[in-house]
Amino acid sequence: MMELFLTVFSAAFFVTVIRTTTPLLLATLGGLIADLGGALNVALEGMMLIGCLTAVIVSVYAPWYVAVLAGLGAGALLGLIMAFFAFRLKADIILVGFAINILAAGGTVFALALATGGDKGTSINLQSKAIPAVDLSFLSGIPVVGPTLSAFLSGHSVLSWLAAILVFAVWYFLYRTPWGLWLRGVGEYPAAPEAAGIPVNKIRTWSLIVSGALAGLGGAQLAMFNYVGFTRDMTAGRGFIALGAVLLGARHPVGALLAALLFGAFEALAVVMPGLFNDIPAELIRAIPFVVTIAALVLFSIRAQRALALRGVK
Amino acid sequence: MALLEAIGIGKTYPGGVVANDGVNLVIEPGEVHAVVGENGAGKSTLMKILFGIEQPNAGTLLLDGKPVKFANPREAIDAGIGMVFQHFSLVPSFSVYENVVLGSEPKAGIRLDRHKAIAEVEALSEKFRLKVDPLPPVRTLPVGQQQRVEILKALYRNARILILDEPTAVLAPQEVQELFVAIRSLVAQGKTVIFIAHKLPEVLEISDSITVMRQGKTVGQVKTREVTEKSLAAMMVGREVSLRVERKATDQSERVAAVTGLRVVNARGTEVVAGLDLNVHAGEIVGLVGVEGNGQAETLEAITGLRSIAGGDIQVAGRNVSSMSVLERRGLGLASIPEDRIAEGLATGASVAENLVATRLNDPRYVRSGLLDLKAIRANAQKLIERFSIRVGGPSSAVGTLSGGNMQKVVVARELSEQPKLLLVNQPTRGVDLGATQFIWRTITDARDAGAAVLLSSADLSELLALSDRLIVLYRGKIVAAFINQPDLSPETLGAYMLGLSTQTSEEMQVALK
Repeated sequence: MMELFLTVFSAAFFVTVIRTTTPLLLATLGGLIADLGGALNVALEGMMLIGCLTAVIVSVYAPWYVAVLAGLGAGALLGLIMAFFAFRLKADIILVGFAINILAAGGTVFALALATGGDKGTSINLQSKAIPAVDLSFLSGIPVVGPTLSAFLSGHSVLSWLAAILVFAVWYFLYRTPWGLWLRGVGEYPAAPEAAGIPVNKIRTWSLIVSGALAGLGGAQLAMFNYVGFTRDMTAGRGFIALGAVLLGARHPVGALLAALLFGAFEALAVVMPGLFNDIPAELIRAIPFVVTIAALVLFSIRAQRALALRGVK
Repeated sequence: MALLEAIGIGKTYPGGVVANDGVNLVIEPGEVHAVVGENGAGKSTLMKILFGIEQPNAGTLLLDGKPVKFANPREAIDAGIGMVFQHFSLVPSFSVYENVVLGSEPKAGIRLDRHKAIAEVEALSEKFRLKVDPLPPVRTLPVGQQQRVEILKALYRNARILILDEPTAVLAPQEVQELFVAIRSLVAQGKTVIFIAHKLPEVLEISDSITVMRQGKTVGQVKTREVTEKSLAAMMVGREVSLRVERKATDQSERVAAVTGLRVVNARGTEVVAGLDLNVHAGEIVGLVGVEGNGQAETLEAITGLRSIAGGDIQVAGRNVSSMSVLERRGLGLASIPEDRIAEGLATGASVAENLVATRLNDPRYVRSGLLDLKAIRANAQKLIERFSIRVGGPSSAVGTLSGGNMQKVVVARELSEQPKLLLVNQPTRGVDLGATQFIWRTITDARDAGAAVLLSSADLSELLALSDRLIVLYRGKIVAAFINQPDLSPETLGAYMLGLSTQTSEEMQVALK
């Protein structure tokens, strides 16, 4: 037990949490934007997975940042496709989302086999690149707090810093700009913005594009930093956890950050725990984030209902 | 010169429904112009064309004498036309000012300029006497204030012409008066108001001129001071109509339904019916009066068995039904015409014949050894279609293809094909045209005359006053007043109690609570 505490409160564990949180946070922000626009994006998982593979394959031939942009672009394109089917062709958005997930699960394996010349499991024989970590070790020069600061802040992915900035950016966009007002209006009561001359489906299309782009960015982080290379089904339900995190975070960007951190922490725990407890099966530990998702959503729902009752909302 | 003119407007929807056929409309600047007609007369379509939601197949629109075409609402808004729909277009969680500026926000850089937005809303509300606080979320406001927000929205977009689509349908009488004050203030400051309505006394009170529509055509345009309620009604329907219902004297000694201390708590834990005592006797109609959302619907649902109760007792025909299923209650002779015929009253995809037997699947006449007797079901449908003069292709037409009035007739036919002991009715004529309204009123009254106890809730006070023997006013789930219906009982008297402005003493109430 002592060992666990020491691990959890170490700088190395913090860095791991940030690493596991980043893809989740990016996908959660993506889920949040689509959800607030009223277009529930159940395809986050598939968009992330395709983002992973695209980033990995492009990184073989191009610099890392081009690969990251390619992952982002792949997600955005999927968002656009989803919007086309859902809004132009009037297909059910949930079904379109699942179609994309299924396409991603099978399509990535197929594309992987083509790219690797037959390997259907991993991209191990592709020379893919990694996203560089931001080295802040110069901070250790600061007296007293320097070394600690350096240990905590150094070594994070560029995308982790970007994700942190994006939390603020998304908040500012949603609650301080007219377009954020439009997006939230479209999601809550589309008849109102429609009557005000705001193009509802255009807004929703953009929300899905941005949502897909963020999921694709999360995928790039996953396949070019958390792991370097692609493995089939490597997103392992993160897209669905992100959907849960949107609700758990009370559909607010700061809440999304906290929820993503919670799930990221448990995932990190699942990473470090097998080394500490040999007698607990690894499968059980890997199930922790999912159990936490369910428990957290139940707790949150109860809390929300109590809060509504207290305020006497009819 | 006319401000806005529509000449020979024609609109045929895909599917062949002719909604407008050579419609003419002339709106003078600075007037209140009412457009009246039955449901389905084409008023809404005409307004949608004026506001750019629909495009006409024929005819021209002239604004300031120049021809105009609106491809979408945005273009109409830019031309100075604003519209307030019957169903408000407000985002519930947004504040008043956010709703007003939505779509045309004042900006500071990329940021929404909150202070400027609030100041502009305050200035407008001051200028046009539309008092409303800019800060609270609109979902916390009463309906009358939400409507003001809608009007402010149009004014914020510099509307010169304001189209109000049945604005009084959702308001209590006092709120209607406040709306009329605002309309007069708008006109006094140079705005022009187009007012869609079906309540003729209100039309006569507020408008300067009236255009009457019937079956997609304009019947005529008249000056308000030259017409009477009766002549207008005749123009609308195309024949003389009686807005009164004759009732027989009945024996009202038998108590059919007795509700004591009824409490209902909604899904969020709020008490919506708070200790209600109510009796309904054979041969009487008891009207439940109240602004929507004060417990009328929940009371009816509790008696029907559609909503669980948190306390109290419900007796029907001497039996305690509190723990009975809906079907068991129906077995005691309970019938119910629900508020929302599409969501609760009918299966819109199923046929008329199927809907007409949906409550009788235990009846050996229609179901034998677990199999539907299609012949009997069809015969039953044909009989009821004739008796209730439902306009439909045949028993196997899907209910969803019928007009609102005919759908409601299907519900009424099913519930009243056999004489009920207790009849619960909620909004029987909402969205139903005048002809069908008369028929439904007659049918409900016939059920009463034949000895049914009827409990009626309606948002339409004139309907309650026309049908009820007694009236009970609910405010926040409690009875605040009770009246025996007499010719001198006015909507204004009821309105004061509906809005919770006054409460009767228990002695006053006792007179009408037998």
